[in-house]
Amino acid sequence: MVEPGFPDALKLLLEEFSRSELCELHVRRGDFELYLSTDVARGRPQAAPRGVSAASVAAPLGHPAEAQGSAIEPVPAAVPDRTAADLPAEAIIITAPNLGTFYRAPKPGAANYVEVGGRIAEGDELCLIEVMKLFTALRAGVSGTIHAVLVEDGAMVDGGQPLFAVVAD
Amino acid sequence: MAIKRLFVANRGEIALRIVRAAQALNIETVVAVSDADRDSAAGRLADRSIVLGPPAAAKSYLDPRLIVHAAKESGCDGLHPGYGFLSERAILPRLCSDHGIAFVGPEPDVIDALGDKLKARAMAQAAGVPLVPGSECVATAADARREGDRIGYPVLLKAAAGGGGRGMVIAHNGDEAEAGFHRASAEAVAAFGDGTLFMERFVPEARHVEVQLMGDGKGRVLHFGERDCSVQRRYQKLIEEAPCAAMPDHLRAQLHQSAVDLAASVNYRNAGTAEFLFDVQRQEFYFIEVNARIQVEHPVSEMISGFDLVQEQIRIAGGAGLSVVQQDVKLSGHAIECRINAEDTKRDFLPSPGRITRWEPPEGEGIRLDSHMSAGTMIPPFYDSMVGKLIVHGKDRADAISRMADAIDGFAIEGVPTTLDLHRAIITHPDFVENHIHTRWLEQVLLPDYGKKAA
Repeated sequence: MVEPGFPDALKLLLEEFSRSELCELHVRRGDFELYLSTDVARGRPQAAPRGVSAASVAAPLGHPAEAQGSAIEPVPAAVPDRTAADLPAEAIIITAPNLGTFYRAPKPGAANYVEVGGRIAEGDELCLIEVMKLFTALRAGVSGTIHAVLVEDGAMVDGGQPLFAVVAD
Repeated sequence: MAIKRLFVANRGEIALRIVRAAQALNIETVVAVSDADRDSAAGRLADRSIVLGPPAAAKSYLDPRLIVHAAKESGCDGLHPGYGFLSERAILPRLCSDHGIAFVGPEPDVIDALGDKLKARAMAQAAGVPLVPGSECVATAADARREGDRIGYPVLLKAAAGGGGRGMVIAHNGDEAEAGFHRASAEAVAAFGDGTLFMERFVPEARHVEVQLMGDGKGRVLHFGERDCSVQRRYQKLIEEAPCAAMPDHLRAQLHQSAVDLAASVNYRNAGTAEFLFDVQRQEFYFIEVNARIQVEHPVSEMISGFDLVQEQIRIAGGAGLSVVQQDVKLSGHAIECRINAEDTKRDFLPSPGRITRWEPPEGEGIRLDSHMSAGTMIPPFYDSMVGKLIVHGKDRADAISRMADAIDGFAIEGVPTTLDLHRAIITHPDFVENHIHTRWLEQVLLPDYGKKAA
């Protein structure tokens, strides 16, 4: 029997799972059973491969990931010429794990961690996210090619905001 | 300097309440949300909303550095912490002060001092505020009898090293005090390795009363009357009223004065609440603690005073003094608030997140609803389960009860179970109507029978 609120509960569970560091989740309740895995090799199709790094692989661009209603000053978000239509279907969007200031280089004047067209390997540093002078490197959870950088250097990004589009190997 | 752009570091109905108060003062607002609250009512109404991070509060609403970073980067010069979350953590005003942001609340040192129960008790004592009569350390059974006789029975024997109810015994006379000493002391040795006890008066049927305060930070403190929050379950308030109709006027005046004296003694700034135990049999009140924030139940004080406490909070944080003097605070009528939670009363108050499918609140004279819900709103499972506060104002307590009963009857909520029906059962119960309740009445009297009549 489907309980009231069941679809919402399932949706929440899926969202939580995709945000978590979990690799596998098996739920059994009555005659209902659900198995979730991030392991592609298991033959259960998964939207995107996952690594163990902080980089989360999230929804495709066009998902309402940007902050809403920014009447004061526009949130520096997607670069205008990079719309969802420009991105190949297989592009993976790497999002900010939390709010912070986005830096493309390890320090002012230094070379950027990554450039458009550049190759990245799983575990490579992509950018820094600063929260109150605490700089945390965001690492790639996937190997591939940087297709687009979606945020200006030095901009404040929201938690979950798309930062890079990557075409995986 | 008056605040121009206010950062709202909270969620739910209080975030919406703060945005509205700021807008009434022509102040811009930025609301911080977690990933689970992207579509929040407060965020939509605000000039801007910012996603802090994942739904888990530790990674969003409870991270002071994330919050102050967001406030600073979004150009805010003021920050309102609401209630719960970081509202009584001194690190938040300290970080705000480091970055030139006005904190809507007390000084961090005052928050720290009041948050320490022993320090708060000492401050209350120094200000001449009554505390629960009690003893120093009690070393022998004979001491326990002598102290019990002096304090007055029933008394509670408590482990000095204790907590969590272990090593606690209630004694109703001298013999029980002696016997209780041996038992509590042995329990305390077993549990804490220290058999030292102390004693305090036990109030079996107490009411919870509290005084709404507002200070300018320079020693001037106003009160906005008291609230009675005696309908509780597991120390959680369900219904709050203002004033406390069970308290005679002369005692009420003493209560207000005690609360004001305590707050003035620490140059209290912004909104706060002094909580007391009211022993109705003895007609005495004792200090419990000070909550250094705006409280959930502040609307009942607003209803009887006609005063917007959140707007006053924002003005004071912006450097303005108190906008009125005590003589201007005129209290009239009676107000009641029901906290409506998405909980299943048939399943031991299990929190029941989910989607609200129908939301039709009552309207009418003297009815107020503080809520962030509407039809289609998703209640995420990560936070508390409160969906709204239904508040009524009547000319007296009976009038307010009657209005509340009508308002509850006119409220349609579907999609998730709520405590609305329980509220109806409480406010129409003869004990509540006749005002013969105490802090354990709900658990001892109403709840054991609740649901059986309907079955």
